Amino acid sequence: MTSLAIPLNQAPAETVSKGRVPGNKGIWVGICCEFVEFIVLFVVYFVARAHFPDAFEQGADRLSRLSGTVITLLMVTSSFFIACSVATMRAGQQRRSLYWLIAGLIVSLGYPIAKYFEIQWNLAHGINGESGIFFTVYYYLTFNHLVHATWGILGILWVLARHLFGGYSPEDYAGLEALACYWHATDIIWLVIFSFFYVLA
Amino acid sequence: MNDSIKHPSSAIAPLSTAWLILVALTLISPFLGQWLHGAGWLQLLVAGIVWVKGWLIARQFIEIELTHPFIRRVMQGFILFTPVMLLLTVFLGNHFARWATL
Repeated sequence: MTSLAIPLNQAPAETVSKGRVPGNKGIWVGICCEFVEFIVLFVVYFVARAHFPDAFEQGADRLSRLSGTVITLLMVTSSFFIACSVATMRAGQQRRSLYWLIAGLIVSLGYPIAKYFEIQWNLAHGINGESGIFFTVYYYLTFNHLVHATWGILGILWVLARHLFGGYSPEDYAGLEALACYWHATDIIWLVIFSFFYVLA
Repeated sequence: MNDSIKHPSSAIAPLSTAWLILVALTLISPFLGQWLHGAGWLQLLVAGIVWVKGWLIARQFIEIELTHPFIRRVMQGFILFTPVMLLLTVFLGNHFARWATL
């Protein structure tokens, strides 16, 4: 009896010619749902902004720009570290890939911590969910993003656990790449939120 | 086998370049809001920066040029949505508000 070995990471010719699916199809269903959800939330922002342009022009001046900038730097840096984890895995450097992933996790944990201090700062300055339409929309969007980022951080922990036990190889790293895609998508969403609330005055 | 097919990159240098640009744009952005306070074209500039940042992450980190056309279109559409809506709100805000009134 003969056996036929199929390499794990080699896609059929037709799939390759159409383009690859980074990670797996499941994560892209999730990312598409995430995009749809945030498009709805962004429409809420644009409708509120069109109705109350003055509140939105003045609102950004009352928020901590430092917090917004720190969170953005944490998001893009953790995204970069996780992209490096995928790249080094492809290059066959599994140990380096693990270190990049740990670095990505550590930096990503800075996001909820920075958010906690930002909320404390807001409350100390009398900014809560009932401080006006700008702040209601601000809390609505940023808390939603924090929930998505928390799922991402839990995902990093899971992928890290698998990585530690040798769950990924240069031939099969779909789980690591799926996590990376989700985190990059969450990063792109934050970059929009940053410009909405901390930059546009 | 077609040798012209592009494969996912394992190089760190392009990722580092993209990250440095993202950090630079992030550090500049809060000052833009202060320096250009009230200027009409601030919105235009911010819309451009949002698009560039999204495009950098999609191109360098997710490598959308290698992905299936559906994923590529979803990413490109999402990245373009906010800058376009920002500009529409700035230039057609009153019409948009009237249209969105219950």
